[in-house]
Amino acid sequence: MTSIGTGYDLSNSVFSPDGRVFQVEYASKAVENGGTSIGIKYKDGVVLAVEKLVTSKLLVKGANKRIQTIDRHVGVAYSGLNPDGRHLVSRGRQEAESWRSNFHNPITLPTLAQRISSYVQAHTLYSSVRPFGVAAIVGGVDENGPHLFMIEPNGTSWGYRGAATGRGRQVAKSELEKLDLDSLDGETAVKEAARIIYLAHEDNKDKDFELELTWASQATNGRHVEVPKQLFDQAVEYALAELDGGDEMEE
Amino acid sequence: MEHHQANWGRPRNDVYGEYDFAIHNAGSHDEPTTRTLQPTVTGSSVIGIKFDKGVILAADTLASYGSLRRFVDEQRLFQVGDQTVVGISGDVSDMQNIQDTLDQLEIEANYDADGYPGPTAPSIHMYLRRLLYYQRSRMDPLWNSILVAGFKNDEPYLAYVDLLGVTYQSGCLATGFGNYLAIPLLRKLVDNDGDEKNVTYEQARKAIEEAMKVLFYRDGRATDTYHVAVITKEAGVQIEKTKCENMSWKFASQIKGFGTQKE
Amino acid sequence: MPIEHSFNPYGDSSGGSTLAIAGKDFAILAGDTRHSTGYSIDSRNESQIHSVGDGLLVSPNGFSADARAFVDDVHNDIIWYHHKHNKKLAISSCARSIMHTLYRRRFFPYYVSPILVGIEPDGTGAVYSFDPVGSYEREASRAAGHASELLVPFLDNQVRKANQVDPETGKPLAQHDLDLETALQLVKDAFAGAAERRIQVGDWLEIAVVTKDGHKVERYPLRRD
Repeated sequence: MTSIGTGYDLSNSVFSPDGRVFQVEYASKAVENGGTSIGIKYKDGVVLAVEKLVTSKLLVKGANKRIQTIDRHVGVAYSGLNPDGRHLVSRGRQEAESWRSNFHNPITLPTLAQRISSYVQAHTLYSSVRPFGVAAIVGGVDENGPHLFMIEPNGTSWGYRGAATGRGRQVAKSELEKLDLDSLDGETAVKEAARIIYLAHEDNKDKDFELELTWASQATNGRHVEVPKQLFDQAVEYALAELDGGDEMEE
Repeated sequence: MEHHQANWGRPRNDVYGEYDFAIHNAGSHDEPTTRTLQPTVTGSSVIGIKFDKGVILAADTLASYGSLRRFVDEQRLFQVGDQTVVGISGDVSDMQNIQDTLDQLEIEANYDADGYPGPTAPSIHMYLRRLLYYQRSRMDPLWNSILVAGFKNDEPYLAYVDLLGVTYQSGCLATGFGNYLAIPLLRKLVDNDGDEKNVTYEQARKAIEEAMKVLFYRDGRATDTYHVAVITKEAGVQIEKTKCENMSWKFASQIKGFGTQKE
Repeated sequence: MPIEHSFNPYGDSSGGSTLAIAGKDFAILAGDTRHSTGYSIDSRNESQIHSVGDGLLVSPNGFSADARAFVDDVHNDIIWYHHKHNKKLAISSCARSIMHTLYRRRFFPYYVSPILVGIEPDGTGAVYSFDPVGSYEREASRAAGHASELLVPFLDNQVRKANQVDPETGKPLAQHDLDLETALQLVKDAFAGAAERRIQVGDWLEIAVVTKDGHKVERYPLRRD
C-alpha cells in the first residue's frame, strides 16, 4: 500500500493528502479475507448464507453459529473479524429493543440499517477508536416486505437485491447477477445461495467450512429462522451436483 | 420596573397580604416520590385447570376503571414461547409492562439458533416471581395476580404469582373473585394433586365454561366474552375468544335490596 | 384531612406448621403441605421442607413470598460456600450464615420462623431455630407456624419431659434422646391434633428424617376440610 511509512495511516482522524482515511481501507482488507457471506432478496423474503470457515477439527459441528438474529424479523451475516461482528450485532439488538419499547412495533429494516451504519461510521471519525473490521449483510421482512442491506466498514449502507462480501465476493457477485431475482421463489433462492457459497469456496479449498442458511419471509411468518433441515439438505445436494456438473463442462 | 414574577403586577400587599414565597419556590425536586398505591384500570379473574393432556386457562375481556366498564375487548392471556400461556389480572398498565418484558425475553431467547428451546413455563414463572417480589420489596409493586400455564418435563404445569411475590401450584387455580367462585367448581374435578390424570379435555373445558358463567353472574367486574387458552403437547397453544352460553338469570328475581325494588 | 394510602409488602399467605425433633443420630423435620391465604386454601400441595445441600434441610415457615426468597438465599449461600472453600458446610456454620441472612434485613425483615435440621460433625442430630431477624439457638425440638402454640407445649412435655414425674419414685423424669420410632409417632400425633384445631393446617403431612446417609421424606394424609 502506498501509505506505508508516510504516517497517514496511523490515525482515523487524519486524512492523507490525497483525501483517504487509510485505517478504514485497512478495515476493508480484514473483510476481504473473511469467509464469504451472501444475501439474496427474492419475491417475498430474504435468504442469508455464510461460508463458516472451521479453524479446528476440535470444534463441535454446528456450534458457534455465524448468522445471528437481531430481532424476530431481522437476521445478519457478516464477513471479517468475528468479535467486531458480534459487537455490531449486539448494538443492532439494542436499537431494535429500544425501538420496540418506544413504539410497540418492530423496527423497519431501513431504519435499523441506517442506525447500525451510523454507529459504524462514527468509528471512522475518532483517533481513539478502530473502525469495524466487518461488512454486515442485514436482511429481513417488515411491513413493507423484504429488505436487504449491506453495511461496510466506512459506514456505507446500501440496499441490494443480492449482496456478497468476504473472500469469495467476486465469484458470488457474478453468480448473483445471473439470477432472475424478479421471479425467484424461496426454495430456489435457498438452493442458489447454497450453490454460490459452495462455488465461492472452490478457491479456498484447503480450508474446511460449514454452510449456514437462514431465511425470513411470509412463509416463516415474518421471522428470521434457520432453513429447515430437509430443505437445507436438498440445497447442499443441489449445490454439490451443480459443482460436479460445472467441472465436467470445463473438462 | 420590577420584573420578578413574585412581585410584578401583584395585587396590593396591604389589601391581599404578602406573597407566599413557598409557592414560587415549590418545585418537582422537593416533592415526595409517588408510587402505585392502588390499581386503576383492572382486569378481573383468571382461572385455570389441568387435565390429562394439558392445561386450560380463561380470562374475560373486560378492563374496568373502578366500576366503569372502560375497555370491553382486552386480551389478558398471552402466549410466551411455544408451550406457555401467561394470564394476568389486576392493573392493566402493569400487565402491559409485564407483557412487553416477556416479549423481549422471548426475542432474546431466539437470538441464536443454538438449540436452546426457549423459556419453559416453570422458568417464566420463576422469572415473574423474582420480578414481582423485587418490585414489592422496593415498595413499588406490579399490581397483578398471574397464572402461568404450560408444561414441566412433559407434565401439565400451572402456577400462581401475585404482587407480593407469593407463589403456589395446584391442579386448579384462580385469581381474584375466581378464588371464591370458580375454585369450588374446578376442585370438583381436580382436588388432589394427580387428579387431573383422570380428567378429559371435554370435562375440563365444561368446568371452565361453567365457572366463567358463574363469574359473569356474580362478579360485577366480569363480562360474558372471554378468551380460552388450551395448551397441549400435541397442538401447542390455541387461544380463542368465546362467549358465555345457555345462561339463566332466573335467580336474579330472587335478589332483593337493589334497584327500584322496595324491599 | 389528607387521605393516607400505603402498600403493605407483607401478606398472610403461608404454609401451615412445621416441627422438628433432634435425636441421638437422626433429626426429623416435618411440615404440612397446605398453603392458605385468609380463609382460602390456595394449594393442598406446597412442600415446606427444602433440601439446601450438604444434607441440610430448611423449613422457612412464615409469609410465603419471603419464605421462598429466604430459602433461595440459603441455597445460594451454600453453593457459593462450595465455590469459595471447596468443602461441606457444617450445620453450625450454616446456622450462623442464616443468622446473617436474616439480620441483613433487620429493618425490612423476612417474615419467617425458620428451622434448620441436619447432622452435626460429631454425628448427633441437630435442630436450629431462628426468629425473623436472626436470633438462633440449637434445641432438642421446635415448632413454628399457625399451630406452634399447640405443638410447642406438647413437645415440651413429650420431648423435654417437662413436669413429668416417675409414678414409682415420684421424681421428675429426666430428658433423654427419643428413639426414631417414638419421635415419628409424636410428630404424627402432633399434626393430627394441629389439623383438628387450626384451619391453616391440613391436607398432607411430610416427614423428613435426616441421618448421616442423607434424608428421606414420607407423606401421610391429614384432615382436608
